[in-house]
Order: sequence, then C-alpha cells, then structure tokens
Amino acid sequence: MTTQTAKKPRYLADSPRFLAGLFMSPTIIYIVALVGFPFALAIIYAFTDITTGDPSLEFVGLDTIKAVWNDTVFRRALGNTFWFAVISNLFVVILATGLAELLTRDFKGKWFVRFLVLLPWVAPVSLATLTWLWTLDSVFSPIDWLLRQVGLIDQNMYWLGRPSLAFISVVAVQVWRIAPLAAVIVMAGMMAIPKDVHDAVEVDGAGPWRRLFEINIPLLAPIIAVAVLFGVILSMADMSVIYVLTRGGPTHRTQVLSTWAYFKGIEGGALGQGAAVALFLFPVLVGLTAVILRLARRREVL
Amino acid sequence: MVPRRYPRGFTRREFLYFGGAALLAAACGPAADVTTTLAGGQGPSTTGMPGEPQISFREPTQSISGELNILLWSHFVPAHDSWFDPFAKAWGEQVGVTVNIDHINTAEVPAAIAAEIQSGQPQHDLFQHIAVLSQHEPSVVDMTDLVMEAESRYGTMLDLTRRSSYNPHTEKYYAYAPAWVPDPGDYRKSLWEAVGLPDGPSTYDELLEGGSQIFSDQGVQLGIGMSQEIDSNMALRGLMWSFGASIQDADGQVVINSDETIGAIEYMMDLYSNAMTDEVFAWNAASNNQGLNAGTLSYILNSISAYRTAQDDGLDVADDIYFTPALAGPETAIVASHVMYNWIIPDFESVNVAAAQEFLLHYTENLAPVAWHSKLYDFPAFPDRVPELNNWLDNDPFGSNPPTKLQVLKNSTDWATNIGHPGPANPAVGQVFGESIIPVMFAEAAQGNMTPAEAVADAESKINAIFNDWRGRGLIG
Repeated sequence: MTTQTAKKPRYLADSPRFLAGLFMSPTIIYIVALVGFPFALAIIYAFTDITTGDPSLEFVGLDTIKAVWNDTVFRRALGNTFWFAVISNLFVVILATGLAELLTRDFKGKWFVRFLVLLPWVAPVSLATLTWLWTLDSVFSPIDWLLRQVGLIDQNMYWLGRPSLAFISVVAVQVWRIAPLAAVIVMAGMMAIPKDVHDAVEVDGAGPWRRLFEINIPLLAPIIAVAVLFGVILSMADMSVIYVLTRGGPTHRTQVLSTWAYFKGIEGGALGQGAAVALFLFPVLVGLTAVILRLARRREVL
Repeated sequence: MVPRRYPRGFTRREFLYFGGAALLAAACGPAADVTTTLAGGQGPSTTGMPGEPQISFREPTQSISGELNILLWSHFVPAHDSWFDPFAKAWGEQVGVTVNIDHINTAEVPAAIAAEIQSGQPQHDLFQHIAVLSQHEPSVVDMTDLVMEAESRYGTMLDLTRRSSYNPHTEKYYAYAPAWVPDPGDYRKSLWEAVGLPDGPSTYDELLEGGSQIFSDQGVQLGIGMSQEIDSNMALRGLMWSFGASIQDADGQVVINSDETIGAIEYMMDLYSNAMTDEVFAWNAASNNQGLNAGTLSYILNSISAYRTAQDDGLDVADDIYFTPALAGPETAIVASHVMYNWIIPDFESVNVAAAQEFLLHYTENLAPVAWHSKLYDFPAFPDRVPELNNWLDNDPFGSNPPTKLQVLKNSTDWATNIGHPGPANPAVGQVFGESIIPVMFAEAAQGNMTPAEAVADAESKINAIFNDWRGRGLIG
C-alpha cells in the first residue's frame, strides 16, 4: 500500500495556494477599492462635521448622528424606506412566481416573451425611469389618456403630484424594474426541481393551482427568499427610481434614506450628515445579507 | 431652349455660381478663423448676424501656460455652448494654454464639484454652476483680487452678483459672478386679454384674480411650483419677499417665523385652490418649458429660455408669450435671479489658478458676445461691457414678434435679487435651498397637512438647525 504525501510544488505557478490568491486578487482589490474604501470613509464621515466644501475632518462624536435623528424628514424617510421595500417586494414575489411559472412552460414565442420580461432589468435604470416620468406626467400621461378614453376618469390623475398616488407610482415602477430579476431567480429554481416530482404530481392528477401551492412554492421557498432579499436590498440602497420620478416629493412623502442621504450630503452640502443617513441602512442590510447567505447555504444542502 | 435644371431647381449657371461661392467660402473660412485668432484674438463667429459683437482680447497680466480644464453646465440655450467652446479654445491658443471643456447636465454639477474637491486632486481648474456655491468657501481661491481687477477694467459689479459671490462675514469672494439671468413672468397674452389684463398681471392680487378666472373660464392653469426643485425654490422666495417675509435678515439671523410668511403661504393656498392643479406638487425643472409651450399654462416664472425654445421649434405659441416684471405684493416687487453664475477655482496645488483667473477676465471682457450667443439669456454683472444690451432688448435681434417683447427686461436689475435676500447668499441659505425647505413648507400647508403656522414653525426648526451648524463653522455671522 502506498501513501500519497503532498509534495511541495516545484514552481510557484504549481502552488494552489498561490494561484488561488492570484485569481482572487482582482476581485478582492475591486471590492476593497470600490466598496470597502468608500464604506470606511462613510463611517468616518458620519462621526465628523465634514462638508462638501471642506475636506478637513473634525471628529464630533455622535453629534452628526444625533442631528440626523432629530430631523423629521429623516424619520419620514426611514418609514418610507421600510414600506417602499416591503410593499414593492410583496408584489415582486407574486409577479415573479407567476412569471416564472409561465416562462418554464412550453409555448410558441417563449424566447421572445422571456426577452420582454427581462427588458426592464437590462435597460439602464435612469433611462427606463425617465420613460416612466413621461408616462406619469401630470398633463400628458398616456395612462390618463387611456383612462379618459374608456370613461374611468374625467380629469388627470396627477400621479406624481398627489402623495398617495406618488407613493403608489414609485412602488409600481420599482416592481416593474425588479420583478424580472426575481422571475429569473425563481425560474432557475423551478427548472431545478426534478422532473420526476412533476411526473408524480401529474400521475396523481393535481391541477396547476395545487401544483403551485403544494409543490412548487414549498420547494422554492428558499429561492424565493433569496429573490426577495435581493429585491429588498435593491429597494433600500438604490435611489434612481425615486430621484428621477419625484425627488422625494411631494412633501417628502416618497423620500427614502438613499435619496435623503444624497440631498442632505451632496445638494445640501452636509456631507457628514449625508453619510450618517446612509449608514442607518447598514445594520438592516448586514442582517439581510446574513439571511441571504444562510438561505443560499441551506439551498446548497438541499 | 429650356435651361437644364439641376436638383433643387438650380440652372446650370446658378449651380456653378453658388457652387463656386460655396467653395470659396469653405476655402476662406478656416483661414479667416486662424488669421483672426492668431492676429487679433477673434474667436469663431457663429451667428453671422448684423450687430453681432466681436470678440476682444487683452494680453494676460500674468505669465500663464499649461492646461486649463473647465467644467460647466450644458447651457439651456444650446447656441451658447456652440459658441463658448471655440471661444475658450481660441483664447487658449492665443495665450499658450491648452483649454479643455466639459459640459454636464446642471443637476450633476454639485455632485461633480463635491467629488473633485473631496478627492483633494480636482481634475478641473475652473468650475461653473448656475447657483451659489458658498458652501465651498473653505476650499476655493479667494477671488478678491480678480474682482478688483475686473472692476478697475470694466466698472462696478452689480450688487446683485456681488451679494451672490461675497461672504461679508469672512470678507472673502468665494466665487466670481460675472453674469446672471433675470426671472420675469412669462404669460400667454391671448388668455390674459380675455380677463382684461392684456399686459399680464402686475401684482399678486391680479395674478390670483386673473389666473383664477382663466382657469375657470378657459381651463388653463397657472404654473408656480411647490415641489422639491430649483424653479419652485426661486418662485416661492420671490413671493415671500414681496409679502415682506424672508428666511434671514440682513445680518444672517433667521426671521422666517413671521406673520408675513404666513400671509404668503395663505396667498399661495388661495392661488392653488383657485388657479392651479396638483401638477404643481410634481413640478420639475422641465415643467415650465413643457407647460408653457404646450399651451397648458397661462403664467410661469422663468427666464426667457422657455420662450426661445418655442421660437426655435417654430411653435405658434411663441408669438403669444409675453413677459412681466416681478409682481408687486403687499411689501415690494422682487424676485430671485433665475440663474446666478458662480465660477470657482479649487484651492489646491495642482490647479492652474493663474490661467483660470486670466480666462475669467477674458470672459468678462467679452460679456457682450456672451449675452448675444445666449440669445439674451445671460445678462452682464458689469453692464458697461454690454452697452448695446438695451438696444437689443428694444429690438430683439433673434426674431421676436413684436421685436419689443423683451423690453421689460431692461430694468430687471431693479426687481431682481439674490437668494438670501435681504442678507447675502451664504452656505446656510444654500443648504436651505438644496433641501427644498421652502417649497415643502408651502406644499404642506397647501395640501392641508399642516396649518400655515405649523408649516412655518416646522420650516423654522429645520432652518435654525442649519444656520446654527454653519454659524459654528464661522462662515456666517
């Protein structure tokens, strides 16, 4: 019987440890430079009174964070951020599951439909949102025109001018934007369900609803959770939709933490306070990331 | 024999004649540019219209070389940028400086300046923005010497622009403001004639009465925004001042919580109820242009750019658009400038300060071409540099019908002021502007979320926090 002992590689290029480090290094450098460094700066800024016009750092302890917390707009933005993320993703789950169910079936033109479904996700977000800005225009909205033609309204809706409608509008656009990603994730999960499970269900005579609620959804739950968590993170951290559509208005009714951080820190000049606003998202996002990783691992085990 | 016709109806003789003339012009054009640029400092002329002012040139007073990188907005009147870039580059060629110019959307300028200053190594030597940049005072070159030199050459700078570039508390010119843009009322004459006001409203009372009647009789609303954007910020400050209210007093103390502010809010609530729709809460920077030119607004507060757009696009509504000066309220009749140009030079070792300052002097020297190529959008902070301005406004060279339409702008310095009025435009005022506290104050009351008094108190608490913060930094008194 012979035993294999690990030999020391003759050349550096033969060393798995070296190669692993080499191949990982671009990713690590990228993350450190473009995510880690700005993030560390944001933490530092949140404890200083730095402004856009004065790069000098003077530490002020918790003063900046206290000032942010005492601002009523911040509290409104905090609440809006929560509801924006939760409501958006509730609809995203429903839509994504339905879309995934549809897209895994065989029908003529399936690839074209898949392309259409993915379009909102692959289109540049600012461009796509600008289209929505025109679509929801106070005077020339084609949606209003359509509703007028069918006799449902006799005056314009002012989608972005009325607080409740403005909130519904930004949620709707966010759902439109995120649902394709979630649909693809759920679709991948559906395709991974063994075919014999479906065959057995078919033999047992289960209908589409029973198959959806008793087979697909329970098996897909971890995958759906991953899709939801991606959606929640995107909804909380990204400002594009709200910045373009409402700039947080009317009367801050659609203001969220990411937009308020920008207005406070960049347009208002209070960079430290802007960083502090943005940092309030951090504990939530860390928690969500932990859940994502845990679910992903669980999925691997499954 | 019938002469042979060439495409587009030319005879052979005409074809050769015009073709030869075109070739000659093409051959002479570049040579003329090079000659004038090198010999006389004449930059490329773009309109070729009679009366177009020529570019003049003075030798720099200090030795300059290297590169000059400029970041500025994409002008609302595109013709300006077509002229400006060759103008700046021609100057660079003449003085031995390589000039590079980047235009970006005005909404992105604050973020770009902030990022470059925070980096400690700005990529641009000279920034221009259309609003006051007072918050950058600690990181920019003091322009006092430049202003003194400009005043010695071109006469006294307007008080309006001085107060938008000078901090009296620190006695520093944090910016150079050689030009500005008036903000008249733009109204549809045909609509206002129908309510007995052919010259448009001249007071806020007339605006309310006439605007309400137009809305009820003709279904066309007024367009004064109460949204979190620049035009709403400007318009509502004008309303406050005309009612005797202001955010701060002349010494930089917060005085917003007053009966006058409440009066202004109550007026706006009336105006909203009777003459406007919820569109004003979704107002954005394009709403003025879009609504006026589409014929869906009877009156807006804007520069002449909306009107120029209508002209350029050949819209019938252009002939129906006329202008009014600031409306009179119970106290006075003033509005904010529509645009206040602030040029700043970051105070870092890598920055080509001398070239930037010399370029600004050259720009000031040529404020007449600046006004001309912006189609009378840009007004000079040194009026002596544009002696023809009033003649142009009397007889608009850019095709107004009637040509006297812009006359109302001749005395616009009498009814325009800086943000921060009656105090200077300081960093606290800038932050209040950036966070849109004033439009939100009006909108909260107009939507019925708060009483006027509650809305004012809410705004006051936010404004006090901002002023105290900047006071602690020693930038306001």
